[in-house]
Amino acid sequence: MSDSESGYRPEFVAALQLFARVSEAMHARGFQRPILVGGAAAELWSTGAVNTGDFDICTTRQPELEEEMQRLGFVRPSGAGAMLKGWIHPELRLGFEVVAEVPMDGNVDAAHIRLVRPIGGGGLFRVVSVEDLIADRMGQYASGAAPDRLGQARVLLGLHPDADMAYLERRIREESAGDYGVKDIL
Amino acid sequence: MALKTSSESEPPQAEAVIDMAELGARLSARRAELGCASEMPRNAGNRRTASKRALLAAIEATGAKW
Repeated sequence: MSDSESGYRPEFVAALQLFARVSEAMHARGFQRPILVGGAAAELWSTGAVNTGDFDICTTRQPELEEEMQRLGFVRPSGAGAMLKGWIHPELRLGFEVVAEVPMDGNVDAAHIRLVRPIGGGGLFRVVSVEDLIADRMGQYASGAAPDRLGQARVLLGLHPDADMAYLERRIREESAGDYGVKDIL
Repeated sequence: MALKTSSESEPPQAEAVIDMAELGARLSARRAELGCASEMPRNAGNRRTASKRALLAAIEATGAKW
């Protein structure tokens, strides 16, 4: 199946192949694979072009992950200031950044972390579940600072009518301090 | 903070591995059913950290067109 048939952008597919290679290298060293979160996870679960070339990652093994990333061609951007914590891959023209040790302050059930085989193979990578991603969007929406996240949550749920509704309800309540539930995005 | 029930080694891969190609095909079919209701709004970008803004600038400097 070609990238266009799958609905994903070729750049996005290439990025996830690279992420899988990094993930497999970590796994081979006896560490957990890092977890993809944020906009790239939203693009994976929607095929929508919501990503901007930066990939947010969670890992408890940041030094080891960065070693593996460097082996695969990631570099710190030249002239980067102290504020920059991410890495770029000059050939693929994308960036990875470790944003936390665990997704969503550790409120994600480990059993709901998904394993994905990217198009073209190259290993497996982990990503937050669509339920946790929807809950994350709703938590940001509930904060009042990101009204666009409600629309994202609605689209994601619309695309995944088979979502685990009991888990989703619980997670949205947790992320929104009880203010919202599934019914608010139906 | 650790994930609930997490350990250094991952749980056995008892759960199905998601095939990205199949996922994309399924999502594309669902998007066709839903029409414009499946269009994902992009992030406004007003919550980016300084580190994120710096990373995006570095990516843009490579000539990337995401």
